[in-house]
Amino acid sequence: MADSQHPLDAERIEKVFLIITAVMLLTFLGALFYSAFGMGMHLPDREEQIDVREVRDTPPFDEPGVRQVGDNEYEVVLLGYAWAFQPREIRVPAGAKVTFIATTTDVIHGVHIEGTRMNFMLIPGQVARVEGTFREPGEHLMICHEYCGAGHHIMYGRVIVE
Amino acid sequence: MSSVATAGEKTAGHTLGHEGEDTGLWSWITTVDHKRIAIMYFVTATVFFFIGGIKAMIIRVQLWNPEQSLISPELYNQLFTMHGTTMIFLVAMPMAVAFFNYLVPLQIGARDVAFPRLNALSYWIFLFGGIYLTSSFLFQAAPHAAWTGYATLTSAQYSPGFNTDFWFIGLSILGIASIAGGVNFITTIVNMRAPGMKMMRMPLFTWMTFVTSFLLITAIPIISVALIFLGFDRLFGAVFFDPSMGGDPVLWQHLFWLFGHPEVYILILPAFGVISDVIPTFSRKPLFGYPIVVYAGILIGFIGWGVWSHHMFTVGLGPIADSFFVAATMIIAIPTGVKIFNWIATMWGGSVRFTTAMLFSVGLLAVFTVGGLSGIMHASAPVNLQQHDTYFVVAHFHYVIVGGAMMGLWAGLYYWFPKVSGRFLNETLGKWHFWTTMVGFNLTFFPMHFSGLFGMPRRIYTYSADLNVDIYNQLATIGAFIFAISAVIMVWNIVKSWRSGERAGPNPWDAPHLEWSIPSPPHHYNFPELPTVQSREPLWNDGERESIQAVTMKEVETEPVMPNPSFWPIVLAFSITLSWALVMTGIWWVIALGIIPVFVSTLMWALEPAFPEGSGH
Repeated sequence: MADSQHPLDAERIEKVFLIITAVMLLTFLGALFYSAFGMGMHLPDREEQIDVREVRDTPPFDEPGVRQVGDNEYEVVLLGYAWAFQPREIRVPAGAKVTFIATTTDVIHGVHIEGTRMNFMLIPGQVARVEGTFREPGEHLMICHEYCGAGHHIMYGRVIVE
Repeated sequence: MSSVATAGEKTAGHTLGHEGEDTGLWSWITTVDHKRIAIMYFVTATVFFFIGGIKAMIIRVQLWNPEQSLISPELYNQLFTMHGTTMIFLVAMPMAVAFFNYLVPLQIGARDVAFPRLNALSYWIFLFGGIYLTSSFLFQAAPHAAWTGYATLTSAQYSPGFNTDFWFIGLSILGIASIAGGVNFITTIVNMRAPGMKMMRMPLFTWMTFVTSFLLITAIPIISVALIFLGFDRLFGAVFFDPSMGGDPVLWQHLFWLFGHPEVYILILPAFGVISDVIPTFSRKPLFGYPIVVYAGILIGFIGWGVWSHHMFTVGLGPIADSFFVAATMIIAIPTGVKIFNWIATMWGGSVRFTTAMLFSVGLLAVFTVGGLSGIMHASAPVNLQQHDTYFVVAHFHYVIVGGAMMGLWAGLYYWFPKVSGRFLNETLGKWHFWTTMVGFNLTFFPMHFSGLFGMPRRIYTYSADLNVDIYNQLATIGAFIFAISAVIMVWNIVKSWRSGERAGPNPWDAPHLEWSIPSPPHHYNFPELPTVQSREPLWNDGERESIQAVTMKEVETEPVMPNPSFWPIVLAFSITLSWALVMTGIWWVIALGIIPVFVSTLMWALEPAFPEGSGH
């Protein structure tokens, strides 16, 4: 190890470090672009605005629930309010394309479907739209992940994949 | 110990300062001496550390079993909000400022900071602001909207009562102390370096103080602006964050994290500075790649401004914004990684002494790297979606803030305590402190990675048994109690060693920097004459060390003129706190009247001479 203190050798080590770091960075960024464009993973999108005072009278939020919109395609209209989800129980078939359309009537809430990467915020005045597919039948907890006051811990529902 | 240790024998024997110095209560209240202000910062921050720690213990006990209800949800929400607020604003930041205060003038060869009275003002504002914020518990109105205070949960509609008022006013008050401190240290470092102390010869701790100070004066005003918006929303019916009137709750998140992310670097850079001084001393080697470590610190300061939205991936900002923040966040890992390699390279081939200070530094390298790696995991947006606002995040930032910032400051405590007190901290107790910290800390926070990935949300009063995370929570609670014991050991060690620790000379560790060239504890004027510096490690070069010690260890006949003590800083700090507290009334003329004492005490301060008359200043 005495050799490593030679100045030229230190330079070599530094170069190796720099190359390793650069390769790691490029790999990470490559993986990111591949996941975004190759695999089509998208973050929750801010689709449209909504008047927070009239959410319950604005379609589709006047009728929250699950509805089939096409062959093996479902829409879930989801409302969050302090401190519950409406509907509390969501039933969708395995393998179907599911689109969540969601908003809140009061403060910021979140939707985290346990065991999946579905995790999005419900922001007053905005409509969140997230697509996904549940491949395996089973049951997932749907938890509010954004702290929303005294009843935050009782704000959860279930997604049942049949 | 080194040969210079014996030279300090004649100065040892004082627990605080030197003969003829006033040590009464009034002298502490009116002091403008950076060393005394530093001690007051440290003691106050340690008291708040215990206050914040007790809150954490109650939280951990409440989470022992699923669906447990030992305390009410309302109290739980107040506890976690105030735990976060206390630990960040009243512990980690002021604890770092204690080190800035004591060391920066000593490391650059100055007699005090640039604005001694402003320095005292910062401390008193911090103290009164902290007391004000904590007093909210007495009125059962402690803040309860989480330390991030997301709109619209903080609005008058969804958070009636004084809880959120205490929060936004308390943080506004504390912001003043931070901004004043930042200005003070930048001016001191730019203007008051001893002859020959070029920027690129400054010890790394001073460098990191410099970078942190810039972050303070640029980041804190952003949160202050956001808090004032919030105050107008709450008290005077403005609608900055109210979506029903065209305001935007996401604006709060942008403002908060635009402050909040540089804040992370405000917390970690001082710790990086500490271990960049500790590791070379105990490896007996100059810091490997000094300029690279400096530039990496500056780069972290710059890139730290471009990563804030990685806290907001679930908001729905769109793919372009998200991709940018993913890339920026991954890039900021590079300078941090470079520093880690530099510290390891410094130890490589050195003759390493594992004192407690060194153990904490090496411990930081290990533990902080775990936190850094989980940080890179968050940076990837698709991964982030599974982790956002779960206990995984709680694990991550405790690894960074406790395992990074706090461990670094504890390394600094063991390293510089002999300089402050003239006595060593007990090494046996120190090692107990270190190992209980390592075991307790890791046992508390490592299991949270798992409970988070299994879906346990953060800020949750209790959790469903369906999540199957009981075991992780119970491990964490056991760990938290071990960690609490480590804090008690630390305080016991400080108290015991302050009174009867083994005596230390001027340079007990044989360290290379200027603060070790003067007696321990230093004279109140620090340097009898200003030394001339010729290199980065002045005390490691024989000739240079002798020429510096000839000046710094000299007996003086007439003491250098130092600034007058003043009680206007404490009066002004109290007036500022009072005027902000009156904002809670929401009555405009009461608020207006409250400003009068601020003006009066500012005027009296301005009219008071800063130095003794006829001293030529």
